Amino acid sequence: MVPIDIKMKKLIIAALLFAGILPAFAQEQAPKLYTLPSPYDRYTHYQVTARYTAAIPVGSFSNNYIDKTSFENYSIALEWVFQNSFSVGGELGYSFFKKRLPRATYQQSDGSEISAIQTRTLTQYPIQAFVNYSFAPKNATVQPYVQLSAGASVLDYTLYYGILADQQQKIRPTYGIGVGSKFLFKKDGNFGADIRVKYQGTSFDYEYVDKGVSAINASVGLFYRWW
Amino acid sequence: MLRKASFLIISAMIWLTSCSNDPVNDLSDLDSQVFITNRDKSANFKSFKTFSVSDSVTVVQDNRSGTALTSLDKDLLSRIITNMQNLGYTYVALDKKPDVGLTAARITNTYQDVAYNPYSSYWGGFYGGFYGYPNYYVYETSESYWSISMLDIKNADTTAANGKKFNVIWDAQIRGGGLANPDYIDEMVDSAFGQSTYLSLK
Repeated sequence: MVPIDIKMKKLIIAALLFAGILPAFAQEQAPKLYTLPSPYDRYTHYQVTARYTAAIPVGSFSNNYIDKTSFENYSIALEWVFQNSFSVGGELGYSFFKKRLPRATYQQSDGSEISAIQTRTLTQYPIQAFVNYSFAPKNATVQPYVQLSAGASVLDYTLYYGILADQQQKIRPTYGIGVGSKFLFKKDGNFGADIRVKYQGTSFDYEYVDKGVSAINASVGLFYRWW
Repeated sequence: MLRKASFLIISAMIWLTSCSNDPVNDLSDLDSQVFITNRDKSANFKSFKTFSVSDSVTVVQDNRSGTALTSLDKDLLSRIITNMQNLGYTYVALDKKPDVGLTAARITNTYQDVAYNPYSSYWGGFYGGFYGYPNYYVYETSESYWSISMLDIKNADTTAANGKKFNVIWDAQIRGGGLANPDYIDEMVDSAFGQSTYLSLK
């Protein structure tokens, strides 16, 4: 009987000790874990952003060829976000501009006249490298940034007279300058939204487009980041 | 998993961009039609008074040619006469020495064309999904159009080796859809003459 009592007492003491110490230990550890810097602050991480863009033609491209805003523009960007305020990446895009004019007679350089309904199109596939400078920490809900980009575009200028096409395809330099902001959905989270307004210019010279293709691109996007 | 997600987004992008859209497939036949006219800048149309029209239509198919006179051809020729008369010219028979003569032709060209696809290697190189899709591809295409020509008979070159030589002083091409539709013939011919205001004697 006696030995059992001693064992029981030991067990009870042990149980009491654990019951008291363990919660205390846990309570002490939780805040410590929470105050650790986020992995997004500690490491260079990756980010992929898909954007949908409205492109408003500007300058001589708008005056001489297509002035209609295009809603057929998409892009995808892959980005390396450094521990400082900079990030670099690459962006691949697609833009399609189109404008139809009522039937008219056009005087050609060889002296002929062409009466037709013109359908003016310009397709562009820009591939650009970019640098972002962010004005806010990595886990801020709102993270404004500025962007510079440069690269090349595959361009397809196709001007239809009725169903006859005058086509020119070229690869030409492209550059851009933009401002935007990221909006994190959840602190420390992986997902967020991105809005950006960007001027993009591409040198191109053919027929109606003599001073390049330029547009103001307003885009909304979603991003995913990981480390 | 993460890589798979981003790959899917990229794949969707390619799918969106690789669908080649035809920006003019919504045009009606009449809207798709194109009228191309040209003239000899040295020709003085005011110096002409009479005209005649060939009694049939030349049919040119690739390198072969012949003549035909279908009801469609008749409609076309008679509408040419109407237009010339409206411009102030007097219709005379061919043997009455007209100042100008008009001919019409139905031309069909079938040719093989080589097209360059600038995107295939560029996408293919990135993600491999499009291997085997060549940069260059050959396609056969066929196009038919109407051609109307005005010949200067008054000032024909009689010194030419094989008989008389006539200069083409005006020509029109009618291209696009619905060219064999008899309902459109009058409007098509009217359009070709209508945009060549310098032909008017009035």
